[in-house]
Amino acid sequence: MTTTDTVEQESRGERLRASVQRFGGHLAGMVMPNIGAFIAWGLITALFIPSGWIPNATLNELVDPMKLYLLPLLIGYTGGRLVHGQRGAVAGAVATIGIVVGADIPMFLGAMIIGPLAAFLVKLFDKGVMHRVRSGFEMLVENFSLGIIAGAMAILGRLVIGPVVRTLTTGLGNGVQWLIDQHLLPIASVLIEPAKVLFLNNAINHGVLSPIGVAHASTDGKAIEFLMEPNPGPGFGILLACLMFGPRLMRASVPGAMVIQFLGGIHEIYFPYVLAKPRLILAAILGGAAGVLTFMLTDAGLTAPPSPGSIFAILAVTPKGGFVGVILGIVIAAAVSFAASAVLLGFGRGERQSLEDPQVEATRA
Amino acid sequence: MTSIDGAQIKKIVVACDAGMGSSVLLTSQLKKSLKKYAVVVEHSAVNHIPADADLVLCQQQLVTRARTTVPDKVVLGFQMFLGDPVFAKVEKAIKDGGNLGD
Repeated sequence: MTTTDTVEQESRGERLRASVQRFGGHLAGMVMPNIGAFIAWGLITALFIPSGWIPNATLNELVDPMKLYLLPLLIGYTGGRLVHGQRGAVAGAVATIGIVVGADIPMFLGAMIIGPLAAFLVKLFDKGVMHRVRSGFEMLVENFSLGIIAGAMAILGRLVIGPVVRTLTTGLGNGVQWLIDQHLLPIASVLIEPAKVLFLNNAINHGVLSPIGVAHASTDGKAIEFLMEPNPGPGFGILLACLMFGPRLMRASVPGAMVIQFLGGIHEIYFPYVLAKPRLILAAILGGAAGVLTFMLTDAGLTAPPSPGSIFAILAVTPKGGFVGVILGIVIAAAVSFAASAVLLGFGRGERQSLEDPQVEATRA
Repeated sequence: MTSIDGAQIKKIVVACDAGMGSSVLLTSQLKKSLKKYAVVVEHSAVNHIPADADLVLCQQQLVTRARTTVPDKVVLGFQMFLGDPVFAKVEKAIKDGGNLGD
């Protein structure tokens, strides 16, 4: 890091990572505030569908409208609010109805596009026009501009954007299905696990996997996609290995981290351990892939995205009769990542290098 | 490069990606350790850090994003969520005064 070239390169890499994180943050920011609604839908689905715990035809009628209308509308609304406050939120929701009507799959991806887009158009209008409006006419102009822009976006959504996004979503879902059919899905862990520790966990899970998973769950009653990122197994295995073989300085904080990660579902807590010992990423990938393979072979899945990725949240949205595969996948993932981490940490022999690097980093910051 | 005197810190914001998970965890920890001082501790998403924050804390990986959101604030990065030396440094600066800079 002595030459200016490498420093520059590093800061460019840093900026790139920051902008990828930022984009992912926006995607996740549209979904995460609405997780409570996903859970309500997931619980109602798990309980009342014909194959659920207490099948009930009347309450089962809630399942489809919640999935097809409520959830995409909430995402479009939240996406609009992120761009342009309350006016943006309303525009986002109105525009989103244009793409959900007539769709037989949940249009999350579409809502993530059209919600912020409609809000952005309202924002442009407000910036360009509102200051020229004669006093006394503000409310009239505000209400009608919002109504006209949002209404036009709903029409555009129904006629153009909806069909395009439907093709896209179906294509993505088919792609994942193809990977499952070819038994290639575990390869996804090669992307998921490194992205996770770079703090792209929410972006990957709520921006990509959850939307595909909801489409999948609506046909099968469960989706493996919901298990791929939130599986606490790989992280738990790494923490366990750090506790036994990690640098002495690290060990003291590990038991608390294990509780927070596995039971509390805050996976971020193990990322620094991997960032401090980057070779542990291999253990995360192997553990993640082993977990996905187990989920695939046992035909495991969840009814809704578990968030946070706590063992309690996961078991709460596990469908009836699906516990063996889900628990097995978590245990196997933890065991594989523990074994791999133990090897990578040299069973504690390389311990003398200790935690020096991150300490230096921290003081420099 | 910005800096602030520990005695002038009235509001600390802990930021994480979503502002719902790890930042909440750290906020409750910091609230406990800073209880005796007149300091407000809040959590937020790193893209939406409130403008009245005096000091921003976030994981090292998110520091660049935090700086873009609030370029004029002191942003301190930490590595570990539990027991990072940065937290002790912040507490010491608030207790005894002294400069905190990024």
